[in-house]
Amino acid sequence: MKTITIQVSRFDPAVDAEPHFEEYTVQVNEGARVLHALHAVRDNHDPGLAYRYCCGSGQCGSCAVRVDGTPVLACMEEARDGMTVEPLALPILKDLMVDLEPVIAKIARICPAPDAELPAKDEIETIKPLRDCIECFCCVSACPALQVTEFAGPTVLRQEMRLTLDPRDSGDRITDAITKGLFYCTTCRRCLEVCPKEIDIPGKAIEKLREIANRRGLTLPRHQEVARLVQETGRSVERTKETFLEQVPEVIEPDGPVRGEVGFFVGCMFNGRVPQTALDAMEVMKRNGIRVIVPHDQVCCGSPLIRTGQTAFVDDLKKKNIEAFARRGITTVMTICAGCGATLKNDYETPFVVKDVTEILTEYGIEPPTKLDITATYHDPCHLLRGQGISEEPRALLRDAVREFVEMPTQCCGAGGGVRSGVPEEAKALGAKRDEAVKATGADVVVTVCPFCEFHIADCTDVPVKNLVTVLLEGYRKKDAEREGSA
Amino acid sequence: MVLYNASTNKMHVDEIVDAHVLVVGSGGAGVRAAIEASRYGGVVMVSKTIAGKGGCTTMAEGGYNAVLRDRDSVDVHREDTLSGGAYLNEPALVDALVHEAPERMADLVRWGAVFDVTDDREIAQRPFGGQRFPRTCYAGDRTGHEMIMTLLDRLDATDTHLYQEVSVIDLVKDENGTVAGAIALDRDGNVVFFRADATVLATGGGTQVYDISTNSAAGTGDGFAMAYRAGAELIDMEMIQFHPTGAVYPYDARGRLVTEAVRGEGGILLNARRERFMERYDPERMELSTRDVVARAIATEVLEGRGTSRGGVYLDVTHLPAETIESRLPVMLEQFLAYGVDIRREPMEVAPTAHHIMGGLRITPECRTTLPGLFACGEVAGGVHGANRLGGNALAETQVFGKRAGEFAGKNPARSGRISEGAIEEKIRVLDDFFEGSVNPADLRKDLKLTMWDQAGIFRNAADLRTALGHIKRLADKRLCAASTANLLECCTARNMCTTASLIVRCALIRPENRGAHVRRDATVTAEPGKSPFGHTYVSLTREGIEQREAMT
Ligand SMILES: Cc1cc2nc3c(=O)[nH]c(=O)nc-3n(C[C@H](O)[C@H](O)[C@H](O)COP(=O)(O)OP(=O)(O)OC[C@H]3O[C@@H](n4cnc5c(N)ncnc54)[C@H](O)[C@@H]3O)c2cc1C
Ligand code: SF4
Ligand code: SF4
Ligand code: FES
Repeated sequence: MKTITIQVSRFDPAVDAEPHFEEYTVQVNEGARVLHALHAVRDNHDPGLAYRYCCGSGQCGSCAVRVDGTPVLACMEEARDGMTVEPLALPILKDLMVDLEPVIAKIARICPAPDAELPAKDEIETIKPLRDCIECFCCVSACPALQVTEFAGPTVLRQEMRLTLDPRDSGDRITDAITKGLFYCTTCRRCLEVCPKEIDIPGKAIEKLREIANRRGLTLPRHQEVARLVQETGRSVERTKETFLEQVPEVIEPDGPVRGEVGFFVGCMFNGRVPQTALDAMEVMKRNGIRVIVPHDQVCCGSPLIRTGQTAFVDDLKKKNIEAFARRGITTVMTICAGCGATLKNDYETPFVVKDVTEILTEYGIEPPTKLDITATYHDPCHLLRGQGISEEPRALLRDAVREFVEMPTQCCGAGGGVRSGVPEEAKALGAKRDEAVKATGADVVVTVCPFCEFHIADCTDVPVKNLVTVLLEGYRKKDAEREGSA
Repeated sequence: MVLYNASTNKMHVDEIVDAHVLVVGSGGAGVRAAIEASRYGGVVMVSKTIAGKGGCTTMAEGGYNAVLRDRDSVDVHREDTLSGGAYLNEPALVDALVHEAPERMADLVRWGAVFDVTDDREIAQRPFGGQRFPRTCYAGDRTGHEMIMTLLDRLDATDTHLYQEVSVIDLVKDENGTVAGAIALDRDGNVVFFRADATVLATGGGTQVYDISTNSAAGTGDGFAMAYRAGAELIDMEMIQFHPTGAVYPYDARGRLVTEAVRGEGGILLNARRERFMERYDPERMELSTRDVVARAIATEVLEGRGTSRGGVYLDVTHLPAETIESRLPVMLEQFLAYGVDIRREPMEVAPTAHHIMGGLRITPECRTTLPGLFACGEVAGGVHGANRLGGNALAETQVFGKRAGEFAGKNPARSGRISEGAIEEKIRVLDDFFEGSVNPADLRKDLKLTMWDQAGIFRNAADLRTALGHIKRLADKRLCAASTANLLECCTARNMCTTASLIVRCALIRPENRGAHVRRDATVTAEPGKSPFGHTYVSLTREGIEQREAMT
């Protein structure tokens, strides 16, 4: 037995205006789950504590709650001393019990055709990964799009795709999915991260539904424009100024001895819209002895097309890009755009390894910059954090580059998945939430490593937004200035 | 009907709901019954939990038995079921089960169920214990969940009204003694009275009366207890299946089912000395012997000191390819990983756990109980599995008998008898008493569960059973305390658990022989199961005993 103290959110609509935390100290067995801690509260402190559970083994989906802010199954998550337990972010009935009936009602039911037959094995195998859902609604609780739109929720779209894949179903699932908010998803992958069954809803349902919608001509007009642009120019961003590729040679030699060599995949945003940041990155590489090879025949990675379901000519792009790097014998390709990085890592099969700039810098180790006299916070780009599983490297680099580093709760800024172009009001609303979060940290600067996030957050807050490489470069410049000053 | 006065501060009926058929329970049996009954008139389904999120159907992993191949036959399925059940099964019920399981499977497939299929586009089947043909159909290891999701899709296409998180606390009879509906409590403890022409009880099992159990939190045996109080007869309540493989660690997850599919896929059992001990208990069928045999083998190994330090044995699949484990046993893999055990690399530790109640309400093949107006199906009914259930037969049972119960309840004529106010008042007065009591129902449950595990578990004898019965009576007499109206249900449930436990122990005392899952260390009669002179044990408010019968051949 061990003793733990936990905070449990309590709310009785008959007497409380708002939920509040109560603290309980309870005895639990070794290995006890959150659910057992709640049982201990009910059995020994307050029999009135309202919460759901049934199977006790992760199979029924009754028991989901938020522990320290993250949705989990209470029966599977180990109880921790000091944890907070709150209901899912859904209308609360009482304490930890939320009203599930309205979301359950949004999940489509199969309409079997009268002559429905047993599907074939390969059909069953494609449906199965989407069928594991236990309707726990962790994903619904965590999805950012739901906070600011009428989006029906990740698992609701999961079901639309499950039905689309079933030859027995006779419903029109694409129209349904669009009504339920198919284009609201930012592809942030938060739903996958919290899903106890690890169902890849953005990849296996949402992007696939968007693909079918595309074949039926139902893609949003703004997204179609992007596709046209890529098809015509090889780039998803219009040329409005001198591009990065126009400004650099194919090989950028370092200042000192060569410690390493990488190919650089620049991406459309850095190439066309914010080339200065990419140039800053090159300075940082030079300073740290890394030779950068920049094939000029590289094109858009295809991410804006894949995320919006416009995959018709993505294979051409992939082929061009792979060849551009492979032909030059490059074994490691660096990205500084989280979106391109996630796409090259997850949607491509490359004969080279792909690494984010923060991985490269961490692996080689960098010359320490002089710390900037600022307080900085860090915004996790979804496609870096969840798309590539990178969170520690940028933080460590940043901690060494600024006077003070403060954490900010992670949440999608709203720029991804074609939402910024396709559903600007949603992107704006999510951006506004980022603004609030940034302000709450009191930081002077928001640092990130994704041009989409950088561009979008900058639009939504008056706090300066900078790329991590720019901060590093500023640190080096400060160092040089100080050296010159003292010389 | 008078709605009682709220200002007197006494419990009163808050709402009355009328239906042609009332279905109690939203497991596989209840939902199947509601779907069928809705063809005949208005159906109301009441469930303690949100539909699909409660009961044991959702948790069932391994599969559903049905004869689907030419090389298999319903006669073999019938014979496997009878021999597995030590010939205590009701043959007419077994006939219905084996003949109709394939048709009910076809219903599920037509309604959209995603069962595993073979390369030849047939429903895939795997071997399960005690069966001579691999006839267990499955959807990975979430078969029951697949079934319930499909059934709920189908239910949605009917006009059935759902009352979720509403728990039935007692059945109500009219002046003719016909079951006329039920009294229930909603989430906040408000009283709802459901009136119906026919009532289908599908409340599932009740092995939560044991300290170590695989059942969901709803498996408290409410249905057995309520039907008993209403005067129905139950049979073979001593027949509790102890599943051989329940988890032993962590403590709070003890009893959690480790599916038989693990052994079906090739898992082997080893004692602490790494001996494959099943060689000594059933060298022919080894790990795939019937559950009663394997459970007793494990219990014996542990009792005789050859178990692990945590009181279990090893169940090992590390010799199987990782991909097989990942694709065929994903739920097991995930559950053990959550507890820090990677079953691809290390063995699981397992011990027996109370799994299934084979006994239950005495029913006819039309699912009629001994009370007019009351039908029963699924685990709350008795007789299908005899003295031991074969893995995969319970899910089939929910569909075959769910359909039958729904059909015959639906065809039941309108009820005409008057319901006396006194009958309702009496039931509500019991609730008022809970505000006067002092005993925490949580404490009572713990006490009861330990008593049942220690004195009415795998190995039994008369002295222990009598001690248990005495203790259960004392517990049942305690005055339970409800902290608020929302806690009334806890009290009702604890009371039901006491009743169910006492039914199990009474029947266990009545059966003097070893038969299937029932093992009396002090048994006076030993006979081959087929030649036993005994039939069902039976118990009701008015009588109890054991049927004598001609030895079968
Ligand atoms: C972990 C586990 C795994 C299993 N695996 C298999 C398997 O692989 N194959 C197989 O054949 N069998 C299996 N079984 C057995 C099988 O699942 C059950 O026997 C069967 O599902 C019972 O179905 P049911 O509809 O009768 O009851 P349940 O599915 O248990 O449903 C009972 C319903 O009644 C409701 N209820 C209970 N009390 C009340 C009340 N007072 N008022 C209102 N509603 C109430 C509950 O909320 C629930 O909805 C397994 C059992 C368990 C526990
Ligand atoms: S990927 Fe993000 S926005 Fe899209 S459904 Fe999942 S959580 Fe919501
Ligand atoms: S998709 Fe995953 S998180 Fe969402 S409801 Fe289903 S199981 Fe839960
Ligand atoms: S209690 Fe069923 S998933 Fe947690």
